[in-house]
Amino acid sequence: MADENDKGKGKIGRRDLLMGLSTVPALGLFGYAWGQQQQYRRGREEAAARTPAADPGLQEINIALLGAGAQGQVLMEAMLRIPGLRFRAVCDIWAEYNQRRVVNTLKRFKQEPNGYEDYREMLDKEKELDAVIVATPDFWHAQHAVAALKAGKHVYCEKEMSNTLEGARSMVLAQRETGKLLQIGHQRRSNPRYIHCYQKLLGEAKLLGRIVTVNGQWNRAVAPDLGAPDRYAIPADKLKQYGFKDMHQFRNWRWYKGLGGGPIVDLGSHQIDIYNWFLGANPSGVMASGGLLYHDPKTHEWYDTVMVIYDYDTPLGPAKAYYQTQTTNGSQGYYESFMGDQGTLLISESEINYAGQLYRDPNAPAWDEWVQKGYVSAPKEQEAKEKTASGAVADVRESVAPDQHTVPVSLRDPYHQPHLQNFFDAIRGKAALNCPAEIGYESAISVLKVNEAIEAKSRLSFKPEDFKV
Amino acid sequence: MEATTFDRAPMIAITAMRVLVGWHFLYEGLTKLTAPSWTAAGYLKQAKGPLAEQFRSLAARPDLLTNADLITMWGLTILGACLILGLFTRLASLAGIGFILLFYLAAPPFIGYFYAIPSEGSYLIVNKNLVELSALVVILLTGSGRFAGLDRILHGLIGRRARLAAA
Amino acid sequence: MRADTSDLDGGIGIAGSHELCDLRRFSHEAMNTVFEVYAVHADEQYAAQAAQAAFALVDRLEGELSRFRPNSDITRVNHLTAGEYVRVSEAAIECLLIARHLYDLTGGAFDVAIGSGLPALEIDADAFVIRATAGGVRVDLGGIGKGYAVDLMAELLEEWDLDRAFVHGGFSSAIALDAPAGSDGWPLTLSDPCEPSRILTRLSLCQSALSASGVRKGDHILDPRTRAPVRGRLAVWAALPRPASAGAAAPADGGPRLAPAAVADALTTAFMVLSVDEIAALCERSPGLEAWVLPDDASPRAGGLLHFNGRATSGDE
Repeated sequence: MADENDKGKGKIGRRDLLMGLSTVPALGLFGYAWGQQQQYRRGREEAAARTPAADPGLQEINIALLGAGAQGQVLMEAMLRIPGLRFRAVCDIWAEYNQRRVVNTLKRFKQEPNGYEDYREMLDKEKELDAVIVATPDFWHAQHAVAALKAGKHVYCEKEMSNTLEGARSMVLAQRETGKLLQIGHQRRSNPRYIHCYQKLLGEAKLLGRIVTVNGQWNRAVAPDLGAPDRYAIPADKLKQYGFKDMHQFRNWRWYKGLGGGPIVDLGSHQIDIYNWFLGANPSGVMASGGLLYHDPKTHEWYDTVMVIYDYDTPLGPAKAYYQTQTTNGSQGYYESFMGDQGTLLISESEINYAGQLYRDPNAPAWDEWVQKGYVSAPKEQEAKEKTASGAVADVRESVAPDQHTVPVSLRDPYHQPHLQNFFDAIRGKAALNCPAEIGYESAISVLKVNEAIEAKSRLSFKPEDFKV
Repeated sequence: MEATTFDRAPMIAITAMRVLVGWHFLYEGLTKLTAPSWTAAGYLKQAKGPLAEQFRSLAARPDLLTNADLITMWGLTILGACLILGLFTRLASLAGIGFILLFYLAAPPFIGYFYAIPSEGSYLIVNKNLVELSALVVILLTGSGRFAGLDRILHGLIGRRARLAAA
Repeated sequence: MRADTSDLDGGIGIAGSHELCDLRRFSHEAMNTVFEVYAVHADEQYAAQAAQAAFALVDRLEGELSRFRPNSDITRVNHLTAGEYVRVSEAAIECLLIARHLYDLTGGAFDVAIGSGLPALEIDADAFVIRATAGGVRVDLGGIGKGYAVDLMAELLEEWDLDRAFVHGGFSSAIALDAPAGSDGWPLTLSDPCEPSRILTRLSLCQSALSASGVRKGDHILDPRTRAPVRGRLAVWAALPRPASAGAAAPADGGPRLAPAAVADALTTAFMVLSVDEIAALCERSPGLEAWVLPDDASPRAGGLLHFNGRATSGDE
């Protein structure tokens, strides 16, 4: 051994060299793999780092915001997150306050909108506009939307489509005549959770069975009337020119007849639109009771409390739907609850409350398949069994509680963003509108009839042709 | 004494193992080196077991932590390269054993321990760290670098010089 | 209005306000606390409408800044993986810029991002884009959001010409605007958080932001630099003057908003973990900044309130 050792030492033969370098290629291989991996990572990072404006394939859409109040600002915030938009103009009669505020905000976001007070002047001068976003008071919607459509612009118009049937009808006709797009702002129609419920849970899986009753509400606590900073008051003659009696009416138009429609239109319209959508039918009749029970009649013309019952003839059979809105107590906020013979869906737009709960009737077929497909979450553990004194396990309740599931879809973006995105996708020819003029019209008819029914103190019925223009 | 004649088949297997362990070390080291803000702080803060206090106090001292981070990043990288190449194989295996022992002790899968950092398998006392450690022990004891690796050439050179000096 | 016992929650109180003529007080729940507007104005309804507008603003900010809202800007930031970016609101950008500034100023003692730490976020204020360089960022604006809301409420009240007003969120972030007629400031108190009836000192403030941070007995907070619990103090307060230019609305030229309450809010969070010497040094460097520290029972200076105002340190019982 020792001899061999001595003999071997110091002589670097060809074999030693080969064996000595034999693992070097492994390092080369590592280097190659590392390089490939780094390249892949860099590629992904670059893809992620590309800013939205830098997407060259995106056709830029020139837009104007008509109405820069509270709702207009909500829409602006959502639109600032949508790539490929260029704000060209902002129009609002409150030039010194809301218009200036919105223009300044947009300028900070590197947009260069011109400010206007008069929408006709804006449509006249802004030749490059592709679309107009209308967020003015309801009684202006028809005039603004029709003028913009006739000027060749696509229009996104806040709900309620109009405060009058004639106004809503004129909008549908203008849309047909011009062939431009008209999206009505029932934004739940584009909300991924509502779409999932409609397409997957009700359409494909038919989880609720036959829906026979619906219940919903939007309750709000008492709030003082809206005011305005004294130093930014709009001159009386300008207010008159635009249809407002005074600054108080300008800020609180929703409460005035001829301007808005009261809480049933402001709040109820969103949810009654969902009733029609999910039930697959327009109502056939309506009973309603309401009144001005709490607020000062000098400054509030519309009903502060409304309770409605609709009759429906759905494709699966008759159904009844209840809705209430009141403005004296905000308990339990807003939600819609659809009750079928196999389950219940409790849903709202909010991501915090009632964000989609499902209850399976104990006698309904199991939902395992839909849980596995990811349509609904696994049921929450029910405390179905309780130990009796003797130690035996027994069901001590009168009836078995239904399994509770949740809808596993939520919205990570601002509430109005998907609906606006749908509108812009439609302009680019990549999508169909989720709430075109005809659907907005059907909802408007369903909702505006409530105020009529309260006044009439009797059940009013709808004819199918009432919903057609 | 040291074996200079080798049983071929087992030595090839052990050399392959050495390259694989080296590959793993090298990648662990390079990933940490190229990550913009890698630090062992999170790992150390979760330390459990007999040396938990020491590890945690290390994490709480920014100056020491920086050194520990540097030693870990460069140590793993250099060790990995050495193991692949079969260069200073014994020293590299020994240092590797030291590193892995520290990693193992910082988060030992002892009975009743729970970690917030998820691990990809299920372990009881023995985990992959310990297996890799035992592989390094085999590499250390067999001196696989002198079978296939730069150590073989180095060994020859040094031996030759020693012989010339003696002559 | 309650009697002179001064109303307490976060360690700031308002005393003797019942003596003021035409003082209106309005409350609103948001951000897991109660916001209040105190305003001296002859027209109650006008003051109520202004307060209502201020509260609507707080609700909007909560929707953008709360990490508990599944579709807030901060939630979107918290879901970024390495290399991803998200476009956020002006409020979110401004809060993160202030947070970043305070992170640098306090050597990391104020960090709104647990986990990876704030430096893992790139803030592109021009494009209103936040980019994550590492995954697992967890931003919580709890230490700055209330102050920021109070700053914006104060600006709104000035826009409404409610200049004589005091605004606070949970009595831990506050702004005193102009003093009520006939006095030189809003009568405020700093109290022991463990013993609210024990008033440590009285202040008279106007055009100032005041913030408080403290712990109840037995609670502790963690130092973001070491993740170790901090001992040695029960409560800290910081006061900053409002810059004269912080008037109506944000500057249209795109300059950064001056938000003293947000800064004071962040500073008190940092002061809970910084050493007394570090606090003194920071006050020395920052003109106008005042700080108070209440050491805990175990500390050698127990019971006494330490006061730093840029020039000297004094025990100020």
